[in-house]
Amino acid sequence: MTIEPELLMAYADGALDPLTTKRVERAIANDPALAEQVARHRRLKSKLSEAYAPIADDPVPDRLAAMLTSNVVQMPKRPPRARRVSAAWQSAAAMAACLVVGVVVGRGMDREGSVMATDHGLYAAGSLAQALDDQASGAKGPVRIAVSFRAQDNGFCRVFQSAEADGIACRDPKGWALRRTMPGSAPRSGGGYVQAGSSDVELMATAQNMMADMPLDAAGEKKAIASHWRAR
Amino acid sequence: MNLIRFIPATRKTGLAAFETELLALLPRLRRFARSLTHDGADADDLCQVTIEKALLARGSWQVGTRLDSWMYRIMRNAWIDTARARSRAAETFVAEEAGLSVGGTGNAEARVALNEVDAAMRTLPDEQREAVALVLVEGLAYKEAAEILDIPMGTLTSRLVRGRQALMARLGEAA
Repeated sequence: MTIEPELLMAYADGALDPLTTKRVERAIANDPALAEQVARHRRLKSKLSEAYAPIADDPVPDRLAAMLTSNVVQMPKRPPRARRVSAAWQSAAAMAACLVVGVVVGRGMDREGSVMATDHGLYAAGSLAQALDDQASGAKGPVRIAVSFRAQDNGFCRVFQSAEADGIACRDPKGWALRRTMPGSAPRSGGGYVQAGSSDVELMATAQNMMADMPLDAAGEKKAIASHWRAR
Repeated sequence: MNLIRFIPATRKTGLAAFETELLALLPRLRRFARSLTHDGADADDLCQVTIEKALLARGSWQVGTRLDSWMYRIMRNAWIDTARARSRAAETFVAEEAGLSVGGTGNAEARVALNEVDAAMRTLPDEQREAVALVLVEGLAYKEAAEILDIPMGTLTSRLVRGRQALMARLGEAA
């Protein structure tokens, strides 16, 4: 009786039903070459699984784990596309963002109306928009502005923190577009200890990448507030 | 403009069940990526792309079904896309040299073993390598592997047996 290579391999892996197993066992008993072949299959299997085992035992790199532990994940960079496609995709992304604002950010923002969803994405509203318009960096309040800067597209952006959300908002003709938001790090009114998050580090790094130049100093910020953050 | 995707978080854990389960799978996914790409840096890049795709497609994963199979499938398809996008000739040439110096963080002996196996895996056609990776490295049953690869059982076993014979020859009787 001939035993096909596939059958022998499946036997070596213990993947055969009991009846076929018996049949292969009988053949092996009569043919040492087959037995040797089975042994080689098993040696290969353990060699491979041992060789790759250290990979699964290694700590997972932070950059991979962070994709799942952070509440905000950056979209992969897209190659430039035709305008229509890109616009449709952007509005889909904005829609997805809107859906979740109710979950991640929605702990208070919706109620206070600090975020509004528009056809062009998420925009600051209410007290958040107010603070972004008028408040100087570093000033105390329910919303704090960490830094203001001019982005590479020449528009103004500000990094903000509040109990409800942290993020980066950029001024455009329609208002303060929210470019990035994450759960808030600032203590709620009434105090309470708030764990230091990675959000500020991450936001600052993002801001750094967006900056055309240095952050605005106090005088520059004052001027920008006075001119209603209009890009020159 | 950078576009941001928001992931819903449960208030209790801060992480949705999906993310938690995926996080637990990462070590295995990295191992699968390594056996597919036979290169440490490529493997983690592949992991990143796979996670991105999974997060975008999370709506199509059905709760209660196996997340590992779903992830293996996404990763394998992502790798096909990547490999296709590359110049095959250039890849083989670079990988041949790079493979000698690339290793995990384990001890020297383990690194040597991994490099040797990586080099042997590199010689396999993709269709044999992915079958070998799923069954011999990831330890999946034939049926599970066939489903992930979307091929009949007979096709899987014939690819697997050819891949194994090539590896045995390559790795010598030490195999």
